[in-house]
Amino acid sequence: MAAIELEGLTKDYGEVVANDSLEFAVERGEIFGFLGPNGAGKTTTIRMLLGFISPTSGTARVLGEDVREERSLLEAKRRIGYLSDEPGFDEQQTGTDVLDLHASIKGDSRREELLELFDPPVERRIREYSQGNARKLGIVTAFMHDPDLVILDEPTNGLDPLMRQRFADFLRAERQRGVTVFFSSHNLSEVRRLCDRVGIIRDGKLVTIEPVDALLRRSGKVIRIRSADPIPIDVLDLEGVHDLETSVSDGHEGADPSTAFTECVFTFTGDINALLPRLADDELIDLAIEEAPLEDVFMRFYGGEDDV
Amino acid sequence: MFEIARYEGRNRLKGSVYLSVGMALLAALVIWVYPSFSDALGGDELLEAYPQEMLQLFRIETMASLEGFLAFELYTFGWIILLGLYLAYAAAGAIADDVDRGRMDTLLAMPISRARLVAEKFAALSVPILVVNLLTPPAILLGARLIDEPLSVADVLAAHLLSIPFLFACAGIGLLCSVAFDRVGIAQRVALGVTFALFLLESLLAGTDYEELGAIAPMRYYDPNEILLESTYDLVGVVVLVAMTVVLVGVSQLVFRRSDL
Repeated sequence: MAAIELEGLTKDYGEVVANDSLEFAVERGEIFGFLGPNGAGKTTTIRMLLGFISPTSGTARVLGEDVREERSLLEAKRRIGYLSDEPGFDEQQTGTDVLDLHASIKGDSRREELLELFDPPVERRIREYSQGNARKLGIVTAFMHDPDLVILDEPTNGLDPLMRQRFADFLRAERQRGVTVFFSSHNLSEVRRLCDRVGIIRDGKLVTIEPVDALLRRSGKVIRIRSADPIPIDVLDLEGVHDLETSVSDGHEGADPSTAFTECVFTFTGDINALLPRLADDELIDLAIEEAPLEDVFMRFYGGEDDV
Repeated sequence: MFEIARYEGRNRLKGSVYLSVGMALLAALVIWVYPSFSDALGGDELLEAYPQEMLQLFRIETMASLEGFLAFELYTFGWIILLGLYLAYAAAGAIADDVDRGRMDTLLAMPISRARLVAEKFAALSVPILVVNLLTPPAILLGARLIDEPLSVADVLAAHLLSIPFLFACAGIGLLCSVAFDRVGIAQRVALGVTFALFLLESLLAGTDYEELGAIAPMRYYDPNEILLESTYDLVGVVVLVAMTVVLVGVSQLVFRRSDL
């Protein structure tokens, strides 16, 4: 049984379909990244998974329990940890008061260990907390009862780089212990570091779902070429060349910039062995092949103007 | 069980003590002015100068005794109006404030049902209701003794005891507003408006053809004049108030279970 199963999960607000027949499963023990730009519907999905809002059609199961049935979902919640995108705590209370309340309802077998790791200022009142401190306290509340599944909405917002790293290491260790992690993000470097698989959502629809390394493979390479003499642009007329930008540098006034280049940059998703022979006769000054930033791949999913 | 009620109740304790001190001060003021008031006017002469509507609105029956004076100056004004509105207002924040400030997700992510959350939040309102009715009677009885107008201990205690179901009913009105509106400001304003409108409805329609309409107002079932002047305790009224409260909490639970947050 999967940790999370979406079965045509839909939330139709009339003027906008926030989630449109989402269908996928998160396997036990994996770290699943749920990606999309702001307003894509990530938080809507998460809030339906936890029963805060009800689907207009379709349903989902978390730890085998139907999210539309409050009673059965409550059973699942004993084994679920949740961190909201803006964790809200009672401003008048101290961190310790908040943790005590959570402990009284769901248990706190890992509280001390988590406090040592993330160190929110528990003796201070919540109203004095920075966004990062509130997030650290939220992480402790999400994991303190040793859940089997954690659902995290933009978990690293507001954390400093050191804490991000610590949190990433922590999540990997949790996966080793068999914990399932479902988290939403628009931070791609984070996803690349952490996730086993990624689902991408845009305008409420699932665009793709695949292992993160496949996504990286598909993301291709960024290739930069500088040549001593102009090269005809049609050399690069082959499959897998995207976003080609060319220019002619000074000193080659005879060359027509619309048909030739001395400098170019493009994203390449094709076979490198098909590309290099085409440049074999040209004298290159520089050739750089770099991994494409995931942001570009991401843009391609959002932008919709390119085929991916 | 009761973790939320305990937590919320603890948070309300300090405010409840302040509230009680305020109400005790109001009681002290009323008791303190009574002797000069009764000396100067000697009976109910002043009442004749008031328009009938005014007497009816504030349920003024007599000023010729401290009991009558307290019944409207303290119990009608302080308990029925001020505390009634306060409880409706406080209850209106019970759910809506957490929803409005994004705290509800954190609470409901825990294994706790929505119905239970509503019930426990409501139960926590018993802290102000009980504290204010525990701390003020001694002050009132002592004050009356100090001005040599001793009151019946049983009647004063009854006036407070019977106000408890009344105040819970007012809190029930606020609770229903709290689940019906997700903006706390709106919930609180509607709760104040509805509670005050019910008070006017009951007071102003008495003796008219529309008097029956006042039956939906909790204020009909708590009458301090009757308790203090006639030592009559309306136990049927208590049952009605308890029933109202149960219905209001039940409907609130139902509404909250069905709502998208």
